[in-house]
Amino acid sequence: MSAIKLFSLTRNGNRAIPLCSSRAYSTSKDKEILPPLKGYKYVNNLDPAMDITSITNRAAQQIFWTELLSGFGVTLAHIFKEPATINYPFEKGPLSPRFRGEHALRRYPSGEERCIACKLCEAICPAQAITIEAEERADGSRRTTRYDIDMTKCIYCGFCQEACPVDAIVEGPNFEFSTETHEELLYNKEKLLSNGDKWESEIASNLQADHLYR
Amino acid sequence: MAKYLGLDKVGKLFQIIQQSGGLRAAYKKLYRFDELKIGSLVGTDKYGNKYFENPYYFYGRNRWVEYAHHQNMDYDGSQIPAEWFGWMHYKTDLPPIRDGARVQHKWMASHSENLSGTKEQYMPYTTTKPKYEAWDPKKK
Repeated sequence: MSAIKLFSLTRNGNRAIPLCSSRAYSTSKDKEILPPLKGYKYVNNLDPAMDITSITNRAAQQIFWTELLSGFGVTLAHIFKEPATINYPFEKGPLSPRFRGEHALRRYPSGEERCIACKLCEAICPAQAITIEAEERADGSRRTTRYDIDMTKCIYCGFCQEACPVDAIVEGPNFEFSTETHEELLYNKEKLLSNGDKWESEIASNLQADHLYR
Repeated sequence: MAKYLGLDKVGKLFQIIQQSGGLRAAYKKLYRFDELKIGSLVGTDKYGNKYFENPYYFYGRNRWVEYAHHQNMDYDGSQIPAEWFGWMHYKTDLPPIRDGARVQHKWMASHSENLSGTKEQYMPYTTTKPKYEAWDPKKK
């Protein structure tokens, strides 16, 4: 509200502004600050009071280091305060069911892999991180023989899981997959499927939590 | 009165030491987890990690895990299995032991921590046959 008033002061305050500017150039005569107009707030720094009580108080504060001591008091109080940080890895921060982490290839409840090699994810991937090769399997169904994701190219946009018609490729909840070397992040189909097998419990409950919005 | 003087905090310290099983065990816990907290045991997963909760601490600190004993100081954030992941990250208030809707398939694999830097680490390999081969002149 006061910001609005300040704004209106600069726009319509044809009286207040010349007063301020004239004070900036003045030297000694009009040192005393004009009382602010009704409904306005004075926002500049005020000059320190120069009566004998205030001067003595300020001098006492400096001599007895009271500000230093009250600073120590603040420090001491913060030692006993509950910290504002979390103690990772024992405590973890809140996460959304829509969190886009490490990729995984899912399976049907029967154990059959979902991916049908339609290559929609490969086509939509803005970083071109996905490489797919497909072949006919012995039973005549169309499956991938190669499903590689370069996790160092991936920008974790989630377009692949949105493009997937069978919910096969998903970005799981896991974010703790950092590695020591680059090549460990070049995931192949086996790695992605094993990720799916490991994380299916959480992936399925995330999909369930979001099913009204999909 | 005791509350204003902060004496209830001292009482809490004794409670925490008692719950963690004596002064020695409390020190060990403090050494391993950097923190001593009191809370109720929510559950234990099959890898031996124990999950605790205490709403006395603020959101974000009110759920914590004590990694399995045999891990000693080799605990890692990725040792929390998928079942407990959602509870640990405040996605759900239902721990998996009370959540009947969680899927169970026989093909689901058991959890493994991030194995980077160990012998079992993942190394990429091709899953297809090579498209072309070098010419071997001896082969007829």
